[in-house]
Amino acid sequence: MLGLAKGLGYTFKKLTEKKITHFYPDVPFPMPPRFRGIQHFSPEKCIVCNQCARICPTECIQLTGKPHPDPDKKGKLIDTYDINFELCILCDLCTEVCPTEAIVMTNNFELAAYSRDELYKNLKWLDDNNTNVREEN
Amino acid sequence: MSTLLQQAPSLGNTIWFILAAVVLLAVLLGFVTYAIYFERKVIGWMQLRIGPNRVGPLGLLQTVADVTKLLLKEDTRPLHADKALFTLAPILAYAPAFAVLAVMPFTESIQFADLGIGLLYYIALSGITVLGVITAGWASNNKYSLIGGLRSAAQMISYEVPLVMSVVGIVLMTGSMNLREIVEAQRDVWNIVPQFIGFVVFIVAAQAELNRTPFDLPEAESELVAGYHVEYSGFRFAMFMLAEYVYMFGMGTLITILFLGGWLPIHPALSFIPGIIWFVLKFSLYVFFQFWLRATMPRMRVDQLMSFAWKVLLPVALFNILLTAVVISYQNGMF
Repeated sequence: MLGLAKGLGYTFKKLTEKKITHFYPDVPFPMPPRFRGIQHFSPEKCIVCNQCARICPTECIQLTGKPHPDPDKKGKLIDTYDINFELCILCDLCTEVCPTEAIVMTNNFELAAYSRDELYKNLKWLDDNNTNVREEN
Repeated sequence: MSTLLQQAPSLGNTIWFILAAVVLLAVLLGFVTYAIYFERKVIGWMQLRIGPNRVGPLGLLQTVADVTKLLLKEDTRPLHADKALFTLAPILAYAPAFAVLAVMPFTESIQFADLGIGLLYYIALSGITVLGVITAGWASNNKYSLIGGLRSAAQMISYEVPLVMSVVGIVLMTGSMNLREIVEAQRDVWNIVPQFIGFVVFIVAAQAELNRTPFDLPEAESELVAGYHVEYSGFRFAMFMLAEYVYMFGMGTLITILFLGGWLPIHPALSFIPGIIWFVLKFSLYVFFQFWLRATMPRMRVDQLMSFAWKVLLPVALFNILLTAVVISYQNGMF
């Protein structure tokens, strides 16, 4: 009987206590610094080495390069760069393998969409995804 | 209002009857809507959450949205269910819950029927709800619902005995089963003081009668899926939900009338506050207690359930009757 009263007293005290609910969709949720979010891609750094596409365990990265417009310079320039977020598991391997840090992780994670087509992110979208970029990659 | 019942039946007062019943139904639906809202809010607060807050200002339209969703759902019926009983069960569960309110005196003037045996009427009619529950469990042709229905029947029948026994003390003290006279007899002191044992037994047994925590075994989500109403959806399920909360309304009014002095103020000096407000206050206190208990207590074990009713509650209730009888005999100068 005493335990019952004790329990009731405990819950009653909790009634007025500060709530721990985080107002997530209204207030953005701060992610820890090493969080693996949607990649940011900077085309000017990319050397078209193809390593990210090869390391990717789900083969969700597709890229094409074009020859450098200046014939005196060596190497290629990136032409198209697509990540299919239907497949991407945000495993961080592409950013780890990238020698020039052209592809880095951000802390953004909101990918919900009404259509599957919207999950194919192209070079422009990944370039514009430049907020909350992770500090260490 | 009660004079209507004594008049010769005519079209005029039939319309009045229907109108009054519809008004009561509207009050009930309003109560159920916001009882569910406050239940979720209070339990949320006690669990350090904030509860529903998205639909409408402060989430006030949450239940309205839920019920709308429920009514728009497809009304499914299992292929091998007993068609007639399946349809009958929700009505059988809901109708008595609504009918018991006819004898409840909310104030001196607001009462539908002033029966001499009001208390007995309540207890007799509330027993029919069990029948609705068993019917639902049987007609669904589903083992979970059958187990839930039978558990519910066993529980509600067992706990009805201490429930009835605990109010016998009040009947002895008042010398009447009329609910209005029972309230009037509490002018000096509410029954909760002289009948405290009866009150405790009544609260516990009422909790089991209502199938609410810690006695919510018939619908134990984690073991029986949902109990007797697994196969019900849409409007029929809404009827069961409604019956449950209307029954809570009925039990709240009954406790207020029997033990908390109905519409009487705490002290005669406060009688300038209208009776209905006193009634609503005491009633809300009980309803809050329900939610509070639900946020606190875990579910009871099945094997403890029956022995608790028969070996603890019933002897205590019988002892209470004996004690009350002895005290009353002593006051009447028998010893």
